[in-house]
Amino acid sequence: MKNATRYLSASLLVLALFAASAFAAYDATAIMKKSHLSYYYAGNDGITEVNMTLTNKRGKERKREFTMLRLDLKEGGKQDYYTYFRKPSDVARLTFMVHKIPDGNDLRWIYIPSIDLVKPISADDKNSSFVGSDFTYEDVSGRHWTEDNHTFKGVSQLNGKPVFVIESVPKKPYKGFAKKISYIDTTNYLPLKEEYFNKRGKMIRLFTANKIETIDGIPTVMVRTMENLKKGSKTTVAFSKISYNVGLNKGIFTERYLKNPPRKYIK
Amino acid sequence: MKTTLTNFSIKHPWIIIIVSVLITVFFAFQFPKIKIDTDPENMLNKNEPDRIFDHQTKRTFNLYDFIAVGVVANDNVFTPDILDRVYRITEEIENIDGVIADDILAPSVVDDIKQGPGGSIIIETLMGNEISTQQEAQYIFKRIKENPILRGKLASDDGKAIAIFIPIESKNMSYKIAQQIRKIINKYKGKEKYYIAGLPVAEDSFGTMMFAQMAYAAPATFVIIFLLLLMFFRKIKIIIAPLVVALMSVIWAMGLLILTGNTVHIMASMIPIFLIPIAVVNSIYIISEFHSHYTKHQHKDAAIRHSINELFTPMLFVSSVAAVGFFALAITPIPPVRVFGIFIGFGTMVAWLLSLSLNPAFGVLLSAKTLHSFTKIDESKTILSRLLHHFRRFSTAHSKGIIAWTLVVMVISAVGLSMIVVNDNPVKWFKKSHPIRQADEAMNAHLAGTYMNYLVFEGQKKDDIKNPKVEKYIERVQKELSKESNVGATTGLPDIIKKIRYELYGEDSTKMFIPSNQNEIAQLLFLFEMSGGNPDDLFKFVTSDYKEANLWVQMKNGDNQAVSKVVDKANKYIADNPPPLGIQVRWAGLPYINVVWQKMMVGGMRDALILAYFIVFFMMVFLFRSLRWGLISMLPLTITVMAIYGFIGFIGKPYDMPISVLSTLTLGLSVDFAIQFIQRLRTAYKRTNDFQQSLHDNFEGVGRAIMRNVLVISIGFVPMLFSSLVPYITVGAFFLAIELVSGLVTMLLLPAIANIFHKSLFPEVAPATHQGKSKGHK
Repeated sequence: MKNATRYLSASLLVLALFAASAFAAYDATAIMKKSHLSYYYAGNDGITEVNMTLTNKRGKERKREFTMLRLDLKEGGKQDYYTYFRKPSDVARLTFMVHKIPDGNDLRWIYIPSIDLVKPISADDKNSSFVGSDFTYEDVSGRHWTEDNHTFKGVSQLNGKPVFVIESVPKKPYKGFAKKISYIDTTNYLPLKEEYFNKRGKMIRLFTANKIETIDGIPTVMVRTMENLKKGSKTTVAFSKISYNVGLNKGIFTERYLKNPPRKYIK
Repeated sequence: MKTTLTNFSIKHPWIIIIVSVLITVFFAFQFPKIKIDTDPENMLNKNEPDRIFDHQTKRTFNLYDFIAVGVVANDNVFTPDILDRVYRITEEIENIDGVIADDILAPSVVDDIKQGPGGSIIIETLMGNEISTQQEAQYIFKRIKENPILRGKLASDDGKAIAIFIPIESKNMSYKIAQQIRKIINKYKGKEKYYIAGLPVAEDSFGTMMFAQMAYAAPATFVIIFLLLLMFFRKIKIIIAPLVVALMSVIWAMGLLILTGNTVHIMASMIPIFLIPIAVVNSIYIISEFHSHYTKHQHKDAAIRHSINELFTPMLFVSSVAAVGFFALAITPIPPVRVFGIFIGFGTMVAWLLSLSLNPAFGVLLSAKTLHSFTKIDESKTILSRLLHHFRRFSTAHSKGIIAWTLVVMVISAVGLSMIVVNDNPVKWFKKSHPIRQADEAMNAHLAGTYMNYLVFEGQKKDDIKNPKVEKYIERVQKELSKESNVGATTGLPDIIKKIRYELYGEDSTKMFIPSNQNEIAQLLFLFEMSGGNPDDLFKFVTSDYKEANLWVQMKNGDNQAVSKVVDKANKYIADNPPPLGIQVRWAGLPYINVVWQKMMVGGMRDALILAYFIVFFMMVFLFRSLRWGLISMLPLTITVMAIYGFIGFIGKPYDMPISVLSTLTLGLSVDFAIQFIQRLRTAYKRTNDFQQSLHDNFEGVGRAIMRNVLVISIGFVPMLFSSLVPYITVGAFFLAIELVSGLVTMLLLPAIANIFHKSLFPEVAPATHQGKSKGHK
């Protein structure tokens, strides 16, 4: 009996090692691509209400509420984002638009209602904070999987779910991180956890997917948290009223609609 | 009591010595537990409202004390070479332990708000890329000049200086961190000069150097006093007792201080230096008295008994008076001063007790041979003796003149006293030639200032600060502050709002104002956060709920007087122009805290001095059983205090922390001679019933002892004059002045007064009566 157990575990280990090496050899980049697509390119388009809570190291909170519209122009390629701010109330009606260009510089515009002015926003630094939160612009619209080298580290368990563990290192030196470890759900390919490290090997940021629901058949991260370990701050983002494949029109993502939000989608 | 202790000491000298040594060993064993505290902020009680508010402000706005590094070139610091070095130095400083790397202000890390491509605005690092051409270097300079948030702070308007501000976790680390910064600078430096400044460095370096200098000054003083004693008394065996008494008093006082869990602060570190003279003085009287008695009667035990008998009362009073002066410090609101006062007071009483017991004990153990050669010194023919009788003859011959001159001196001193300026600045505790002083001068000549204060605007509710009325009010306060020559720069939320607006409208300076619409202010700040601006930068000027704002007020001169002037001006403006929405305005910051404790210190010291003065006066009246003698005995100390502080007023030396502490010491030391002189003169008169004879004897006896004390203490502290720390020089100079002035007054004025009024002061009494009376005295 004892021998049988030992035999079984040994063979399982061999099998696991074999499987791991197989993944490492063939699948790290593919997993990251699949993960990227299921996380950032769910459906052809989508609308969601976003509740953002920014908590500083002393526990003081700031809130942001906005509606976000997304249209995929090409799967894994160009995307358009449109954001309509509701809260804080003194920035209500402020809108923000991004034309995401994965192999170039994104284009960003902001509309400031109090002075009725549309202004481009420079997109040089993708690592800068999104509306003062712990999420960067890149966290919101996605860092393209081709920008990093990925290594498969194995299969592990995270809160009872099997996950792929993948290490990503930027191909070109990058201010945002020197190394990232992602824990990707083996069934729906959503990132459940991401650990960002600086060049000294210290973890600086931690992403957690707190709640996942299936909406219109699409597994979606409904609540996510980004912690800035250096600053001791964290930002929680909760999605609600999600709808996918509503048939958004490319025409909405233009300067004209910045000033006059599309009332069909934004009430 | 006096005979009991003396008899016991004579009978069982070894028991006295062994017990003293054991107690000393016990206290010496406390020394390893020493807790050193060099932070002047601890002059304030932990729950002092201003101090609490300062800490709260730093927490609320995530601010830290900082070290300022200055880079100064003769013509232009904005060259690719120098900027490259500044870049590398900054990069290495970021890695020092205790440095808040994220909050460093330096060209290579600080953000600039500027025009991005396509008319966008962008907030990004001022010097994000390597600078390779002179043109690029000049561009950086131009950007700093055009940014009201950076201008004057990061670089001087003449382009000759750059500053790097390095926030640190705790200001107690600043000396260590400053040393590491110096190492990094030495690795890279070129022709340009580098300076390290800031109050934390000054304060922490002072603390470190102070203990180092104490380790040299106390032994040096000890050695000099040893040599002087040796010169007077020739025999090492004779002078061992006073030295042992001094050493033991210091160990007992410091040991008890440490044992009771108190920290050794800047003040307490001076206890040894203050206690040594106090401890030695008593023994000199005893040995002098012993010497003259033994020379005459050649009987050791009798000479010892006689000396103690003669000296017990004056010594008790001298020591009690000195101790009262110190204990009076316990009423000051400054904790380290209280600790200092209580333990040096304790040390003074220990010195008294040990003088009375150890001197006889050591005396008994002296061999006849030692004593024989000791008495061979003929004191009546020494220069000291001749000088003494010059004093005596002069004071009796020119009694009225002396009194007249004394009055003149007092009037002049009073004028000087009225000119006293209360001022302090920890940076100026260093000599002018010290690198910290030079850094302070160089950086404040070029830049907006190394002294950072904060003016906090507390709103009633969330978002009050976004209100245009509030922003405009802060802006007006800024304008008002900038009228002060000491204010190098003020930085606040209005500057950021205006700068965003200026850049948003394509560098249009007509748009550089605070808008009247609250939503616009909110949206401009939102734009800042969306354009790459770090919200943490914003929250150094405003809380995230926009309930409180913080205005940085940078000053070039950290003298308390100069800081107070700005604070008072601003407070007056705010009182005359009350802020909108019920906003409360309060000051914080290290220089401001220094002003607060100085005010409390000066007031506290004044109260302590007045209290001590009156207690001493009552003690004198009690001691001499005479109001008139009480008044006369107060003269040397009154004149000494007036003359010294009047002189300080005349030369314009600011009345600072060390000088205020010395006032109570002056009291204790300068009353000493008067007590000895008067008490002994009266005793002599009771014996002889002849005034001139008594005066003559008094100069021979106690006069010589006083003269020895003057010399021992004034010369003993000469090493301190060579210190690089100004407070130590001050202490040395003070001892010299106290001894000389109170010695002179005692030797000239007291005999002069006694001479003029001797008929009423020394009534002729029948010998039998005064014998009985004198017993009652003791």
